[in-house]
Amino acid sequence: MRVTRRTFLKGTGATGAALAARRLLRGPETLRAAEIPQAYVEDFVPTACWIGKQDCGILARRINGRVVSLYGNPSNPRNLGTLCPKGVAQIAALYDPHRVKTPLVRTNEKGVPGTWRQATWDEALELAAEQIRTTLEKDPSLVVWQKGRSKSKYVYDEALTEALGCTKIGHGAFCSDAGYRALEYTMGPKGVLNPDLRHSKLILAWGWNAVAAGGNQLCWITWPRQLIEAKENGAKLITIDPRIRGTAHFSDRWLPIRPGTDLALALALCHVLVKNDTIDREYLRTYTNAPYLVGPDGYFVRRGDDPLVWDERAGKAVPAGTPGVVPALEGSFEVDGVTAKPAFQVFVEHVERYTPAWAAEITGISEGEIQLLGTEIGEAASIGSTIVVDGVELPYRPVGVMAYHAMQQELGFQATRAMILMLMLIGAMGAVGGTLGTTKWEIDDNYFALDAIEIGDGPYDPLLKSSRFFPINSGNPAIAATAILDPETYDVAKGYEVMILHMSNAAVSYPDTQAIRAAYRRLRFVVAIGPWLSETADLFADVVLPAATLEKYEGPGSASDGYLDAVMVRTPPMPPLYQSRGETDIYLQLTERIGVYEAFIEHLNEQLGLTGPHALDPSRRYTEREVFDHWAKQQGLEEGIAYFEENGVWVKDPLPPSVRYGYATDPPFGGVIHRFYGESLLRYQEQMREKGAPETFWRDYTPLPTWRPLTMDSSPPQYDLYLISYKLIEHKQDRTSFIPLLSELSGGQRLDINPATAAAKGISHGQMVWVESHNAVTGETRRVKVLANLTHAVRPDVVAMPHHFGLFSNPNSKDLGPSANALLFTGPGYVGMTADASFHVKVRVEPA
Amino acid sequence: MARYGMVIDLDRCTGCRGCMVSCKIENNTPQGSYWMYVFRFEEGEYPATKVRFMPRPCQHCDNAPCVKVCPVGARYKREDGLVATDWQRCIGCRYCEVACPYGVNTFNWGHPEEHYYFDWNAEDVAPEVRGTIPAWDNPSLDEPYGPEQRHIAGGGHLKGVVDKCTFCVQRVEEGLDPACVQNCPVRALIFGDLDDPESEPAKILERRPSFRLLEEAGTEPRVHYVGGAPPTSETRQIEPAKAEV
Repeated sequence: MRVTRRTFLKGTGATGAALAARRLLRGPETLRAAEIPQAYVEDFVPTACWIGKQDCGILARRINGRVVSLYGNPSNPRNLGTLCPKGVAQIAALYDPHRVKTPLVRTNEKGVPGTWRQATWDEALELAAEQIRTTLEKDPSLVVWQKGRSKSKYVYDEALTEALGCTKIGHGAFCSDAGYRALEYTMGPKGVLNPDLRHSKLILAWGWNAVAAGGNQLCWITWPRQLIEAKENGAKLITIDPRIRGTAHFSDRWLPIRPGTDLALALALCHVLVKNDTIDREYLRTYTNAPYLVGPDGYFVRRGDDPLVWDERAGKAVPAGTPGVVPALEGSFEVDGVTAKPAFQVFVEHVERYTPAWAAEITGISEGEIQLLGTEIGEAASIGSTIVVDGVELPYRPVGVMAYHAMQQELGFQATRAMILMLMLIGAMGAVGGTLGTTKWEIDDNYFALDAIEIGDGPYDPLLKSSRFFPINSGNPAIAATAILDPETYDVAKGYEVMILHMSNAAVSYPDTQAIRAAYRRLRFVVAIGPWLSETADLFADVVLPAATLEKYEGPGSASDGYLDAVMVRTPPMPPLYQSRGETDIYLQLTERIGVYEAFIEHLNEQLGLTGPHALDPSRRYTEREVFDHWAKQQGLEEGIAYFEENGVWVKDPLPPSVRYGYATDPPFGGVIHRFYGESLLRYQEQMREKGAPETFWRDYTPLPTWRPLTMDSSPPQYDLYLISYKLIEHKQDRTSFIPLLSELSGGQRLDINPATAAAKGISHGQMVWVESHNAVTGETRRVKVLANLTHAVRPDVVAMPHHFGLFSNPNSKDLGPSANALLFTGPGYVGMTADASFHVKVRVEPA
Repeated sequence: MARYGMVIDLDRCTGCRGCMVSCKIENNTPQGSYWMYVFRFEEGEYPATKVRFMPRPCQHCDNAPCVKVCPVGARYKREDGLVATDWQRCIGCRYCEVACPYGVNTFNWGHPEEHYYFDWNAEDVAPEVRGTIPAWDNPSLDEPYGPEQRHIAGGGHLKGVVDKCTFCVQRVEEGLDPACVQNCPVRALIFGDLDDPESEPAKILERRPSFRLLEEAGTEPRVHYVGGAPPTSETRQIEPAKAEV
């Protein structure tokens, strides 16, 4: 903390007199603060950004304790003393006069914008607690805790929901969960593909707007900086995206792909790698199930429980993992009376049909470009080469793919699988310069769980977990809404009655907004917790509890940039404004009134790893500051939370290769076998069919990623354009749309349309147009009116709209245009096999 | 004495406009007033589309046309290279706005307090912000600067005066970078003493080709660009910030 005492002399001598005279002549138009005393104390205190996902470190400049500016904290490895426009502008959010200032209780019917009366915290907490308690007593699963982006996973997502025993719903099915599931299932790490930017030489920005959209666990600031450094170190960047915008400036090539066809491109790249024989056989033999023998039924050939491989030296089948074996990757063998082939051989035959010419038809990228890219990938991988990093010699495969949010499409899970398989062919997953999943190569429980799902017979919970519809399941609230509205089709016995809505605006932020709103109308009681009145709260909340923005204790969270280990806790630069409180404080008070305080404390101990003298005592009452103080002391920081109040971030050591790279962990890749061939996916498909699931649900459960035509392509031909949605750098979901400093920059909603397409339809720049979407399964149409924005940065058969709009509850965000989500659908054809939302739909556009 | 200037690396700028917001908060500029502006440009036709970005602060010209036309000496060139506006002396004639070929001057048409985003005088808000308008009011802007001890920092002080980028004189005199430079996430903006060959911007200019905007106008800007080219007649501006108030 830097504290300075400065003398503030306002308008001394002649200039002061001149100023006073001017005021007399022209009225009180000066704006200098009346209440700033002659001398003031300036200091800088740490806090952390509350808007984005990566909690950038902030130093708040204060004048006499009043925050006047937010600067990046130079000690934080992620943002190194800088902030994005949202981070800087959130000072306006902090002071926003439209914040919820007191607890509110609804005084009108639900389903329409609310009218409210102010309530005391006591009354509001008691109202909420009573409803939650009585419903928990009846059936805990009827209570649902829904978060948008919660920042303090251990406290909220884990300890709170475990103490309540309630259902929890996140936002991942609208974010990147299809990609998460694919990597967890295939290799184990919890994450989606991202490049080892410090060492990558060929970087594919696959559906990744590198300079505006953030990505895997890190937000916007860290990735672009590392990407620019990679470019300055000679890396080549190829962008695969229907729309390019800011990335264009940094891209060596742009491959404008048709939306939803990424699986076809990835399969064709696999085809090229196989044809060129740029294959890392050593990796495939050693770490994957590619040598496992597959029988004619598609399952591994086993003896007992052991899958078999063909030992090339002994010329016979032996259990996989037998020491000293050189397993065959190719060929066909007679084993135990059946003809069996190594999974790799099955794959080679599988991708034979996926030629660049075939993919060119589907993706809109030319055969030559696909052939060239596949060849470049194979060459850049420099298979067999090694590099010494921090004294450790490791495989060097400098092909990095960033494919974070590209996966929210109909074939998202299998498209990611195909990209991973492509990278497995060259041994680039977990390699130096290659493609990583997260900061640390750790095996998530889902690696095992997703291989051992027991599909039930129903009835199912509304999220359809372990169901015949979505055995692998990302927990999509729009699917839950669909199931609640149609319980017979989805075999759902009960919905939800009470909702705790945490920093979530499901009624606007998630497609299908219509289904979600219809289902949320049925909730008996909703308590919304947030700094602003979200549209969801406005329509459906019974009680609103005002949460603080960044002026609270929250954490712990990672502050690692991927290379340096660091931990942060958000600390308040000033007391919570108005009557707001930090969510941890709110939950401590709410659980006490519900009667589960002791359980909450015990789960906090478990989740935060608090033991011995640092464990919280369930018989004592704590504030949120005390909770994080215990946690900090448990970490060995003697000064406790004061360490973070002083420094904001605890920077540890550089992450060693043994933590970052799959090849370098002990044992390598955490000791798990990579599922090149997804045998359990085939098992799930058969079980789904046996249990009567319609084909639309089971058809993509295939052991190898398999292309099929997209549902949206069966819309009638007048729906001639693909709609995609995207993020603006100025906004984060709808969490910043009401900050006028950002709205000025973003300019509100628009429809990006290629000038050639616009000309053919008689549309000019800045003109209002109708956009009408079509559901190819149900025939339903939806339409919105929006401004046309002509740009050469989008495919001629694609139109694009940013998120962030369609809001109506805050005067500063209500007239900025419609939400892209108002055009999107959920349900069959518009979600993937893992229940993840697809953000693609066919539309037609005409002048309004 | 140091003579300051700025180098803008167009190879690095991602067009995020974080500098525009940093500037607004630091300098209390009212709605629609951007002392730092980041152009977003599109060139070429699909699929050979190019997109690039160009931050444009006041160029702090050594031969500044705005200084020459100011009838009251409110606009003046400082010895350290900064072009300053004394908002107490400005009479609002707007000659500087006309003379400047870069369009960096803004005129306070209305009472600034009506244009500071939000109604800070609202009954339930005023107590929380202690009567401060805007809530993030920066008191450093009220102080006099330079050997002349003139009021040249910050914006939106008075109706009917012109203001523009000051290179954050209140920060520079404390040895800090301007707010936009301090905040740039990708270090596309570099500030320093161009006369000092050891300064970071001087070293960049020594090493890399550079250009200045409207060099032919003879204004001798102290803002230098590296890693790109000036916009041409084929350049299309995209995503303009909403400037009307």
